[in-house]
Amino acid sequence: MKAFKYLSPTTVEEAIAFHGRHSETAKYIGGGTDVIVKVKEGWMEPDYLISLKKIEEMSELHKNDATGELSIGAMVTHATLEKSLMIRNEYPIIYDAVSNIGSLQVRNVGTIGGNLINAVPSADGAIPLIALDGVALLHGPDGERSVEVKDLFIAPYKTVLKPREILKKITIPPQEPHTGSAYIKFGRRAAMELPLIGIGVLLTLDDDDTCAKARICLGVAAPTPMRAFDAENFLVGKKIDENILIEAGKIAADESKVRDSIRGKAWHRKEMIRVHVRRMGLKCLNMIKDNY
Amino acid sequence: MSKSNNELSSEFSVVGKRIPKLDAAQKAMGRAEYIQDIKLPGMLFGKILYSKYAHANIVKIDTSKAVAFPGVHAVLTGEDVPKKMKMGLIKDNPPIKKGKVCSFRDEVAAVAAISPEIAKKALGLIEIEYEELEGIFDPEKAMEKNSPLVHDHLKSNVLKMPWNIHYGDVEKAEKESAFVVEDRFTTTWVTHCCMGTSGAVALFDASENLTIYTNTQIPSLAHKDFLEALKAMGLENKRVRVIKPVIGGGFGSKLDTYAYEHIAILLAYKCHKPVKIVFDRVEEFKATSTRQPTVTYIKQGCDKNGKLTFRNMRMVLDNGGHTSWGATTPSVMLMPISSLYRVENVKYNAKCVYTNNTYSQAMRGYGNPQATFAIESSMDILAEKAGIDRIEFRRINKNRSGDETPQGLKITSCGLEECIDAVKEELKFDGKNEKGVGTGIASLIHVGGGARIYGSDGCGAILKMDDYGKVDIFTGGTDMGQGLDNITAQIVAEELGLLAEDINVVHSDTDICPWDVGAHASRSTFVAGNAALGAAKKVKKKIQDFASKLFDVPCEKIELKDKLVFVPEDKEKSMTIGKLLRKAHFRPGGTMLMAEHFYDPDNQNMGKELKGNMSMTYSFGAHGAKVKVDEETGKVEVLEYVAAHDVGRAINPLLLEGQVYGGVVMGLGYALTEEVTIKDGKIMNANFRDYKLFTAKDAVKIKAPVIETIDKDGPFGAKGIGEPGCVPTAPAIANAIYDAVGVRIKDLPITPEKVLAALKEKNG
Repeated sequence: MKAFKYLSPTTVEEAIAFHGRHSETAKYIGGGTDVIVKVKEGWMEPDYLISLKKIEEMSELHKNDATGELSIGAMVTHATLEKSLMIRNEYPIIYDAVSNIGSLQVRNVGTIGGNLINAVPSADGAIPLIALDGVALLHGPDGERSVEVKDLFIAPYKTVLKPREILKKITIPPQEPHTGSAYIKFGRRAAMELPLIGIGVLLTLDDDDTCAKARICLGVAAPTPMRAFDAENFLVGKKIDENILIEAGKIAADESKVRDSIRGKAWHRKEMIRVHVRRMGLKCLNMIKDNY
Repeated sequence: MSKSNNELSSEFSVVGKRIPKLDAAQKAMGRAEYIQDIKLPGMLFGKILYSKYAHANIVKIDTSKAVAFPGVHAVLTGEDVPKKMKMGLIKDNPPIKKGKVCSFRDEVAAVAAISPEIAKKALGLIEIEYEELEGIFDPEKAMEKNSPLVHDHLKSNVLKMPWNIHYGDVEKAEKESAFVVEDRFTTTWVTHCCMGTSGAVALFDASENLTIYTNTQIPSLAHKDFLEALKAMGLENKRVRVIKPVIGGGFGSKLDTYAYEHIAILLAYKCHKPVKIVFDRVEEFKATSTRQPTVTYIKQGCDKNGKLTFRNMRMVLDNGGHTSWGATTPSVMLMPISSLYRVENVKYNAKCVYTNNTYSQAMRGYGNPQATFAIESSMDILAEKAGIDRIEFRRINKNRSGDETPQGLKITSCGLEECIDAVKEELKFDGKNEKGVGTGIASLIHVGGGARIYGSDGCGAILKMDDYGKVDIFTGGTDMGQGLDNITAQIVAEELGLLAEDINVVHSDTDICPWDVGAHASRSTFVAGNAALGAAKKVKKKIQDFASKLFDVPCEKIELKDKLVFVPEDKEKSMTIGKLLRKAHFRPGGTMLMAEHFYDPDNQNMGKELKGNMSMTYSFGAHGAKVKVDEETGKVEVLEYVAAHDVGRAINPLLLEGQVYGGVVMGLGYALTEEVTIKDGKIMNANFRDYKLFTAKDAVKIKAPVIETIDKDGPFGAKGIGEPGCVPTAPAIANAIYDAVGVRIKDLPITPEKVLAALKEKNG
């Protein structure tokens, strides 16, 4: 492993300045569960690692009770989200996703922002944030800008972040009443597992039980995390029951761009989308019913 | 009803006690010294370059840039390896290849440098020109006449091995059978996944004697291999000392000597410095040997009462590019094939076939898991065809004490029926299951009293006592985590009336420890245990003889217990063992108490006819699984697992349960998730992300009832239990899946994809 210097700025501005000084040879590091592996394997050889850990605002998890907006600092760990009762009760889809990432040890240090920035097609953390219409707040040398989480990814390992830009936090707009959300990672093992396919569903119902909003988000179904727009559109305006969800599952499966890999076959991945859109959809309906 | 494991062997003071592993604290606190921890003055680091192709001619190698690279001390290619330096069962594998490579793991060059990083960089500077050849990756295709040859000088890819037997008359028995079933089963590559990766440190002294620190399960045979290596290097009559550091997992992976060891020796000799080679995890996956994949054709039948009439099996084994002990696994497969349940007429033919895949080796069970997967799956299929309850079917055909099987195995103690009963009782086979839930059972037979596959199946032990009542015992046996240290200590302590902590077990150095054929075949408790017991008995006799004079009573009246030598009927006549030892030592003409014992079991080599009692006794077991199958995804969840074993006697129930738990989890991985994915000879998943070893979170609750049959030849009645835990796991799971959803999966591992595809086919 190549030796590196470890810098610990306390503000975002300082971090960006450090990066400016060392430009090509510097790299930001969050929890390190991806970066350190890459450095150890020699896939990445930075002279400087700029830790974002000491930037306090980036580790804040906060819900604004007045506006109903949720703010998740990019350095919030999976374990923090997993242990938060507020997240568990009000954003079950986030809980579902982060509580099955890696292992306890990985979740204790791995961060939600790092999970997004690493930008693998299988990022568990991305799916719920897309389903919840999350917005990423980016901070670079030229100031701040916002990007919807769904537009964050360009290709595997590639995001829209510009050089030196930092993902500071993700905000989630207030949730409508009568909303249910759920995520499942379909894999072979119970821990230390990448999903063979990841399926997140969010449903909002009107007072007359018709679907006001639907989000069907898929991991490993395309080069980047994706939304199944056709399936979502199919659901909106309909009274949702199991048969409708079965149909939505089929549409989502057809929309996906799954492929064969050494980890799993495309046909099986499609089947899993089909089955789990229905199962997660039913879970959402039950949640909505329980909260009435 | 089996006893609770806490109530076993209560008549003893130390044997039968749940004493934690003696080196547990050392390991838990990071104090145990693994090969990774060995550092010697002036030590260099070796790295190995592997082939870029599965099958290719080496046209040209240019090492000049690597040789010139600062920090590099030596670069070796196949040209630098002495002609006669070859490894493996039939010596078809030089440690660095010359002229031609026949798998991706073939070594083509090696470097020694002052740091691992420099050695790695230097590897990148070696320029090799290859001429790629057509590869052959399917063993059944490799048997065809026009197939490319893996080794040009051979006429065929099929190895010359003797695996062809016929006991009784299978054809006649088939004609007379009321029910016959026939199927094809396959198993794939899996690997040991030792947490401690492979490695060795070699060094020569000024007189050219070799010391090698290495992870090995066969110190004495490795010693012999390295002597031969030295001879090939022109170093005749030199000494070899093999030192084992603490081993982080064996499971059969260390039953041969490997290229990295021989390369470390060559580099150390060339550089006049110690050379260390340690594998990283990727290398551990790519350059160590797997369990052998098999294609099995099985046909068996029974009469109208359910009595087995014949068993006819044919197998094709993927040998890979070179030959290690994997090619001899049919000798052990023969045991369940001929002797799991009573069956008089047996035919077995196995062909080991060269391919351009990785070569396989020994792995826990030594062929038995592959054979038992086919046999026990087929048993359920046959029972269903005959309309007989699957448990009843197994009872009808169960092995019994006093049987001699067609292969000539003499069944002495046999608790198979009790094991089957224990599984049935725990899993409530008669109860109705909810939809998608099912139960399955599979049994096992395994060698439990040594296995004579070599000229000697022996093990030596040397025991010495100090002046205070402490013992050092030097055993040929190997502890690699399985617990031979405890077993040896508990046996010796019981015999000498001491505590386990009074016994220091030394098993790490061929300069000090006597000969042993190796930690394989679940033989260590039985063979090394009997060696230790023999030595302890001799010392006990010496203590009794001396005490007899001291107390003026006959020898047989003297007992040893609680660190005391005493005469039970005369309370005055009692002394601590330490005091007695000092009395024996510190006097004119004094003596210290020592003894040695070499135990070689009275078992038989099978010989050309492949008949003979290969083990002194056999271990039995039955596993039961309750599974839930998700019929929409094909995913299998193991709800409950019972693994009952007849172990003769549990010397240490705690370690015994550990062996069973570990074996079962390994077996569950084999059944459901584990697979070295190889595409055109290339390993595609050389990491724990994609090689789906069970994690702690995947582990299921396992009940491990112990059946004690007190074997007449075992130390305190014990039989071997190292391997059985993973032997019948896969068929127990496969049978439970069939019971749950009615699909029979015949190819391991049983992935959700396979189950779902089968369900779709079944449901149309």
